Amino acid sequence: MSTTPVKLWRRQKHTTTLIGKKGKILLWTMIRVPAKAFAPQAPYPVVIVELSSGVRMMGQLVDWQEKDLVVGRIVTAVIRRSRVEDTEEVLSYQIKFKPL
Amino acid sequence: MKIHILGGATTKFGELWGVSPRDLAREAMSQALLHSSMKPKDIDAIFVGNMLSGILGNQANLGSLIAEELGVFVPAIRVEAACASGGLALHTAINGIRSGQYKNVLVVGIEKMTDHSSDDVTTGLMAAGSDDERSAGATFPGLYALIARAYMQEYGVTEEDLAGVSVKNHYHGSLNVKAQFQSPITVADVMKSSRIADPLKLLDCSPISDGAAAVVITGENPKKWHKKPIAISASEVASDTLSLHKRSSFTSLSAVVKAAKQAYAVAGIASKDVDVAEIHDCFSIAEAIGTEDLGFSKKGMGAKDIAAGKFTLGIGKLVTNPSGGLKACGHPVGATGIKQIVELSEQLRGTAGKRQVEKARIGLAHNVGGSGTLAVIHILSTL
Amino acid sequence: MVGIVGYGAYVPRFRITLEEIAEVWGKEPADIINGFRVREKSVPAFDEDAVTLAIEASNAALTMAGITAEEIESVFVGSESHPYAVNPSSTIVAEYLGVGNNFFAADLEFACKAGSAGMQIGAGLIGSGQAAYALAVGSDVAQGKPHDALEYTAASAAAAFILGKKKTEILAEIVAMSSFSSDTPDFWRRDGAKFPSHFGRFTGEPAYFTHVLGEGKKLLQQSKLQPSDFDYCVFHMPNGKFPRVAAKKLGFSPEQLAPSLTVDLIGNPYSGSSLLGLAAVLDIAKPGQKIFFVSYGSGAGSDGFIFQTTPHITEKQKINLPVRDMIGNKEYLSYTKYLRHMHSI
Repeated sequence: MSTTPVKLWRRQKHTTTLIGKKGKILLWTMIRVPAKAFAPQAPYPVVIVELSSGVRMMGQLVDWQEKDLVVGRIVTAVIRRSRVEDTEEVLSYQIKFKPL
Repeated sequence: MKIHILGGATTKFGELWGVSPRDLAREAMSQALLHSSMKPKDIDAIFVGNMLSGILGNQANLGSLIAEELGVFVPAIRVEAACASGGLALHTAINGIRSGQYKNVLVVGIEKMTDHSSDDVTTGLMAAGSDDERSAGATFPGLYALIARAYMQEYGVTEEDLAGVSVKNHYHGSLNVKAQFQSPITVADVMKSSRIADPLKLLDCSPISDGAAAVVITGENPKKWHKKPIAISASEVASDTLSLHKRSSFTSLSAVVKAAKQAYAVAGIASKDVDVAEIHDCFSIAEAIGTEDLGFSKKGMGAKDIAAGKFTLGIGKLVTNPSGGLKACGHPVGATGIKQIVELSEQLRGTAGKRQVEKARIGLAHNVGGSGTLAVIHILSTL
Repeated sequence: MVGIVGYGAYVPRFRITLEEIAEVWGKEPADIINGFRVREKSVPAFDEDAVTLAIEASNAALTMAGITAEEIESVFVGSESHPYAVNPSSTIVAEYLGVGNNFFAADLEFACKAGSAGMQIGAGLIGSGQAAYALAVGSDVAQGKPHDALEYTAASAAAAFILGKKKTEILAEIVAMSSFSSDTPDFWRRDGAKFPSHFGRFTGEPAYFTHVLGEGKKLLQQSKLQPSDFDYCVFHMPNGKFPRVAAKKLGFSPEQLAPSLTVDLIGNPYSGSSLLGLAAVLDIAKPGQKIFFVSYGSGAGSDGFIFQTTPHITEKQKINLPVRDMIGNKEYLSYTKYLRHMHSI
């Protein structure tokens, strides 16, 4: 199982506080050989973002174009469906980053 | 108390389809005992370094499995620290002897990766990272790719410069019959290999491998067992944040800097005194940064120095990764840390044949877990 | 007084042209485009669904309303593409908004009118004094079966409305509301089926028009108003033709209808369609203007509202990006990329 309902449920409150927060890309890479659960999404960019609060996070970059893959690009935290669940598992929503 | 390395051995590293984990353990252990003039009953404890057995094969409890293979039911302790499992197993074994409880200890590093799909292995290796990193869809190469990007940005280093690491290690590997890859490659070969996680390409990355390595170490008079024992001058460990994004630097592994500093101090030497080193090149960038963190190159110069031949056998004074490193020799995760020790022992004894580094007196092993979460540094010296 | 205190919309960034789809199936693009009177439709990102769209729209509505999430006491999310068959989208949306535990909630399904139905329920709870603020969302990531007519228009978007009763906060008052329903099987999706089915031209006269015109005429009669008393009209938009015909049949002019026609830009986002049109109108309405609204959901029914804007609308319009500007932010996909986004391959 990719993640369990209990772990998802524990994480929810924290995820809520991050929606809409802005930050900038510190580092980026393009994952071309993914872990099993992420195969349908590959290739996709993974970024380290520094939020304006100073907190750093790692996440997927979404709704991106080539020109967005630069250090310093401003992004916002959005909530997206993880899409790693199978047909019977509970759904997982998580923070990803979208270029502003 | 002085602790010495007696005999050691490695199996061939590679895609060993017909060889089971138990076969690997038996081969490495029996050879290490033979080279130590010992029988299994002479061993007081076994330490096992392994990362993926439970994750991929659902086999935990490895201490007992290895004891069963050895045929003596002595204390058996399994140690895990991702890719530093081997080095940490040795460190733990050393402390077992220092405690006074054990005298002669067998340390085995072992990994069987090719029984599983590369998908499962990619997923399994991310057990070395954090939940945040896994949910972000990061892979192990992805984490080091982020480090590579930071390094290339900060120091103006190119992908071609980094490729020099793999080129050097394949050259060394071509001289090692136990290595997974024994043919040299060029920078052009690295540049045209397929991209794994930008900017890292296939030939920037160590392979998926099977293999085992074992050493016997002793706290009593080593000459009783071996004509040329090797002294362990330092065994130091340091850790850092689990997540890459929480580190204070993306271009240096502070766990390595810390552990190396401690190790040099305990051994009473400086980096310039090291003659031969086995550096943890899980990815080309890892060796570039490791070379700097260990004090062998100035900051930002690691990749360029390697590419210029500064650490190549026959060219450089200090030779790094004469075994072929993780890239060419192979990286059966838990085995690597012990393989490094076996290689260094042979170098210091003058028995490394075609790979022999001239007048090697002091050796250093650099074994890193995860993206720099844990570093184990061993310094070995001839008597 | 019950009315809208905040509204928000979200349209995903991606588009596919009807021409692109038509070429795959060997159809004449001009025939298809003229037939539906739609040029392109909105497509969700790989990792968007009706819930994530609803959260985006609801957060925008919350920002405009200027209240805290905890003040919301009713959450109803209407969709035909709820991610779960059992497990409410409404509570997931409420959680990620920070609503807390004290709210009425349930998921709604009534084809394309599930969102407007949520507004009527919310208005009822507020009007009866049971809730201070109510959130109603219409959100869909609509699936159209490849090679079927619906593939050309089934689109994705969400629109969220927060209702309240404080005169100082209301930007558009609900002057009247009613509903008109019957059992008419024009368009349906069986439990477990991936794509909806429909009965061609039966979806027109006996379905869409019977209910939209039935509710439209009822609203006019009950309010004793004429089409000329209104500044704008909004109808459910399954394609570019039906709302134009409905407006004309009820006596509205093309100018009254024009600002609502989001279908021309993004196709039909099902439960989000009429509500998105309403949001587009509210983006440009002036104080003291009347808006005539009739949604439609297959199966079938129509919800009707008469809204009257207040002086507060001017300030509130400045808060979020207007719907048309949001729609203008777009990126086109090839048919194969579209299939990936829709999880068909």
